[in-house]
Amino acid sequence: MTEEMAAVFVGSSLRLAMPLALASAGELVSERAGVLNMSVEGMMLIGAFGGAIGAWSTGSPLLGLAIGVLAALPVALMQAWLSVTLRANQIVTGIGINILVLGGTTIAYRELLGRHSRARIPGLERWAPPGLGDIAVLGEAVFRQTWLLYAGLVVIAIAAWVLRNTAVGLAIRAVGAEPRAVDKSGLSVTRVRYGAVLFTGFMSALAGCFLSIGDIHTFTEGMTNGSGYLALAAVIFGNWKMGRTMLACLFFGIATALQFQLPAMGIDVPTALLIMLPYLMALVAVGGLVGRQTAPPYLTRAYVR
Amino acid sequence: MSAMLLVWSARVRERPAILVSAAAVLVAALCGMALVVGIGASVPQALAAFADGAWGSPYAVAASINRALAFGLVGIGFVIAQRANLTNVGGEGQIAVGGIAATAVSLYGGASTLPMPLSFLAPMLAAVLAGGLWGAIAGVLKAKIGTNEVISTLLLSFVAVWMVYGAVQSEDLLRQPMSNTATLPESLEIPDVTKLPLLSAQADTPLHVGLPIALLLAVVVAIALDKTVWGLRLRAIGLNTMAARRAGMRIAPSIVLVLFLAGAFGGLAGAFMLQGDQGSLKAQFSSGYGFDGLVVGLLARGSIPGVIAAALLFGFLRSGGISMEMEAGVPSALVLVIQGLIILMLSGAAFWIDKRKEVSR
Repeated sequence: MTEEMAAVFVGSSLRLAMPLALASAGELVSERAGVLNMSVEGMMLIGAFGGAIGAWSTGSPLLGLAIGVLAALPVALMQAWLSVTLRANQIVTGIGINILVLGGTTIAYRELLGRHSRARIPGLERWAPPGLGDIAVLGEAVFRQTWLLYAGLVVIAIAAWVLRNTAVGLAIRAVGAEPRAVDKSGLSVTRVRYGAVLFTGFMSALAGCFLSIGDIHTFTEGMTNGSGYLALAAVIFGNWKMGRTMLACLFFGIATALQFQLPAMGIDVPTALLIMLPYLMALVAVGGLVGRQTAPPYLTRAYVR
Repeated sequence: MSAMLLVWSARVRERPAILVSAAAVLVAALCGMALVVGIGASVPQALAAFADGAWGSPYAVAASINRALAFGLVGIGFVIAQRANLTNVGGEGQIAVGGIAATAVSLYGGASTLPMPLSFLAPMLAAVLAGGLWGAIAGVLKAKIGTNEVISTLLLSFVAVWMVYGAVQSEDLLRQPMSNTATLPESLEIPDVTKLPLLSAQADTPLHVGLPIALLLAVVVAIALDKTVWGLRLRAIGLNTMAARRAGMRIAPSIVLVLFLAGAFGGLAGAFMLQGDQGSLKAQFSSGYGFDGLVVGLLARGSIPGVIAAALLFGFLRSGGISMEMEAGVPSALVLVIQGLIILMLSGAAFWIDKRKEVSR
């Protein structure tokens, strides 16, 4: 492998890991509060759609990003209302939302963009940290990325810090572990869970926008194609801890990048195996083969006062 | 205000759940029609195309019913697991491994050399076994280390779906021999004797022997769940695992068996899809049927007649949707919207239908 190829490989691994990292950071927060959002997939898809439509119609990728986030919030709100207020089965509602969003965005895309499907959608600008971008070979291939990648890393770092070190984070973790105690202490379990699900929606929308206006500058029907489920797998593999979850996302990104890299190097590994790898890894993790898994005790369980 | 709400919710609770289901389907269908208007298509035209594709000809009816068979089998599997308070979301993967097993046995397992009923029964049984084992993995994980079966069955689904993809990519596995570069990545067509025999000699009604098999199984499962000690035991485990254990029931084998059965029904659905419909294994083999079957199981709210009704509904809905796209220019994604709405309304409505479960300890 030449130096250049290696640099491109690292760069594309990061690029492929980032949407997963954004979505799973959001999902992790919500799962720590006891709500499993199967709907991450749908929230990403509507975010990707909103971002693409927004950027295309306003001509501004930044406005597109805002519209993508705004589009995902009602979906997150629906998930929260159904699974927190109405105490509906979290998995069922998540699957329902995914089907609804897949159908809805497909129809809306054909209506709004179908005739202009070749139109160029303005994408988010690329940016490299000062100094790093000028390094020979590495600078261009590795560090010159959509600015959302760097912004996303900052947001994830903040989320991790808040979850670990602040009263808000403590409340979130407590709701997933001992909701009754939280309730007795005077905090509203419902409110914390709503907030956590909305945060998942926000992060998933960023992830979706990363796909549509950060990475490839277009929208295709069902373009998330299972990355939402991959984000869920990352949280499981990460044992509901931020650091390990991010590491899992990086692994998944590398596995995806390898699908393109290995054939280019003349190494014949079945693509299916590489695509399957993240799910296998997550399965091995929940199968207890890599240490004890400790899911939040109240994950997927509704709270009744 | 709260008194009124109480009276109202009590009233809703008295009504059979089927009314709520019907209302949800109706509302979703109305939303669908509103969408048809929204995208500027003609509603009568769309409805006509829908009816034409769903039940407009004997062929259409038979095709819809064949679809419903796969949904229904996955749905029955879901209901069995649900009885023990287990949620099997792995139908998609169970269909996939069933399809792989049926293809392998049909093409390379010597099934075509067997005498007639065995030639199609052998691949079918292989599929049942494969699906069952795939489901049992989740059962073992649940029984041994308490892994949430929702997570494990879902992950197993993705693995299985990509196994199909991998199997048809490699000539060492199930891909047809490559005669030139244009050879599609799919298996050979399975021999005719391994396909499910048609019920009628006329080729215009592709109803196959899967229909009576599925109906028979539905009756057996309904009786087993409602009228046998085994069914009662499952319910006991589902309602209160701890109490069932104290009453001397062995929980772990039951969990494994239940998820094996649920998976076996998924595998059988895969066999029907391959041997009755598709004829060769393709990368997109399972094509979301497992998730549709899951929804069918949910809609049924635990009853086998409910599964049959919901499976037929979805079978006709899918067929009609495809025809709407071809004949009236309405995206078949409309069916997804309707399906999604039905699921969301019913899951939300469960709040009023079910007794409120206390989740405290």
